[in-house]
Amino acid sequence: RIMPVRWSRYNPSYLEPEVKKESYQKPLEELTEEEREQMELKAVRPIKAAPPTLSSSVFSDPMISKFTNMMMKSGNKVLARSLMSQTLESIKRKQLEKYHKAPENEKETIECNPYVIFHQALKNCQPIIGLSNITRGGKTYQVPVPLTDNRKRFLAMKWLITECRENKHRRTMMPEKLSQELLLAFNNEGPVIKKKHVLHKMAEANRAYAHFRWW
Amino acid sequence: TLRLICTTTAVQRKNVGASGPEKYTEAFIKKQIEEFNLGKRHLANMMGEDPETFTQEDIDRAIAYLFPSGLFDKQARPMMKHPTEVFPEQRKIQWGEDGRPFHFLFYTGKQSYYSLMHETYEKFLNVQKHQDQLIAQDLPLQKEKRNLAGSRWLTKIELEEMLVEKLSDDDYSRFIQLLQKLVALPCADMEENYIQKFSKEVPVQLQKVVIEPLQYNEQGVAFSTGEGKRKTARATAVVYDNGTGKITVNGIDILHYFPVLQDREQLLFPFQFLGRIGKHDMVCTVSGGGRSAQAGAIRLASAKALRSFVTEKEVEFMRQAGLLTVDPRMKERKKPGQEGPRRKFTWKKR
Repeated sequence: RIMPVRWSRYNPSYLEPEVKKESYQKPLEELTEEEREQMELKAVRPIKAAPPTLSSSVFSDPMISKFTNMMMKSGNKVLARSLMSQTLESIKRKQLEKYHKAPENEKETIECNPYVIFHQALKNCQPIIGLSNITRGGKTYQVPVPLTDNRKRFLAMKWLITECRENKHRRTMMPEKLSQELLLAFNNEGPVIKKKHVLHKMAEANRAYAHFRWW
Repeated sequence: TLRLICTTTAVQRKNVGASGPEKYTEAFIKKQIEEFNLGKRHLANMMGEDPETFTQEDIDRAIAYLFPSGLFDKQARPMMKHPTEVFPEQRKIQWGEDGRPFHFLFYTGKQSYYSLMHETYEKFLNVQKHQDQLIAQDLPLQKEKRNLAGSRWLTKIELEEMLVEKLSDDDYSRFIQLLQKLVALPCADMEENYIQKFSKEVPVQLQKVVIEPLQYNEQGVAFSTGEGKRKTARATAVVYDNGTGKITVNGIDILHYFPVLQDREQLLFPFQFLGRIGKHDMVCTVSGGGRSAQAGAIRLASAKALRSFVTEKEVEFMRQAGLLTVDPRMKERKKPGQEGPRRKFTWKKR
């Protein structure tokens, strides 16, 4: 199928750039058949320019940049980026506090890396199944529907951000509230996880309508 | 429905020949060709050249000399071309004197498209039958993979020209899917001739860019220059060897010129990718654009300058990482009747 892109300034034959250094240092023998074909294709086709948010340094993470873009308001990337870094810093501080207070045997179980906490929290928030409105005979039913990876990630990030923007005290700053939510989600607690469970229960309740789905 | 649109100039030609019934008779076109040849000989006589060896380029030059025009659009100026280029190809009348059409699929409306699909599917079934015979006889199937990387399928416009008939996007994508299914079969080699009619070679030579050699300044330090652009920013970068990793932009250090971390990350991206962070010094000049555009322009300029310091393989890696392509995205223009490039005015019921 032709992938529906509304309007792209690149010719459709342009391929996506691969920024990670490790993928270029693999010797030829380790690659599978598909990867070899991909390499040959890349050698012939032109490649799009790397976007300004993507970089080969250790500090750039595609998930973090996606989250920062979703937090951004009216194109203020500077503010969004600083909020994100403050969030990660506050997560690290809280975890270090816990680490120094904990007894010897529990010190190894406490996770201090904020990136690991972020990724794990997002994974815990992702719903497995979603609902979609299908109209049959005048009535609209909520039908349980499988979700794609992109859609799951988007829903998890969207829930986190809306939760942090609405359910907080007027005086709490966004990084503080976000770090709180991320730590709760990392331990499978908190309002976002509850929302995910509610969605799963609704899908289970509407199981009878699952056959309405035609795709 | 969603349409795939991109703004390369090749896509913008309209297929005029396939629309509507015949506009010029064959006799008319023959007369035009005779007149063109006569005119060519007269023109050669006028210019004092040999009528036998008068090529199309000579005709163009002669016409530009005799009828100078200051018009901007090249196609609005006076031109003299062979009638087959001026009058587009069109179909002859598809039915005989009694009104009965020649082709059996005439009443489908898109006879050439459907006959093409039927032919391709017939070949597909033949290949499958051949495959089944080989399996029945327990012979091994030929598994020579066709080199997909060096060829591309015909575009929709080229296919329309070939069939002299209008196609829709859906029709075109179905045809390409059928061709891909045919090629994916192991015994597709027997239909190689047929498939080659619909595939074109992509010349790899397009990507061969000349890498400039290193230049040396008075102290013997090697340096190279590069130019880059992004949106409206234009930048030139001079990368010196045996450096400490200092980067200067318009005479100002990058810490002061780019207070945002993202821009500095972009500047260091080519160096970090090649692992040469502390080894080069850079002096750049940049003008135009905004903060992010200037950073992108300097990134492209430094990547182009670094090509001279680095092996060909690493240049290829840089290209595949997207460091050497000019970003074509520009600010979209505002259209009349709308508030911005996409945003429409607020809809009011009354």
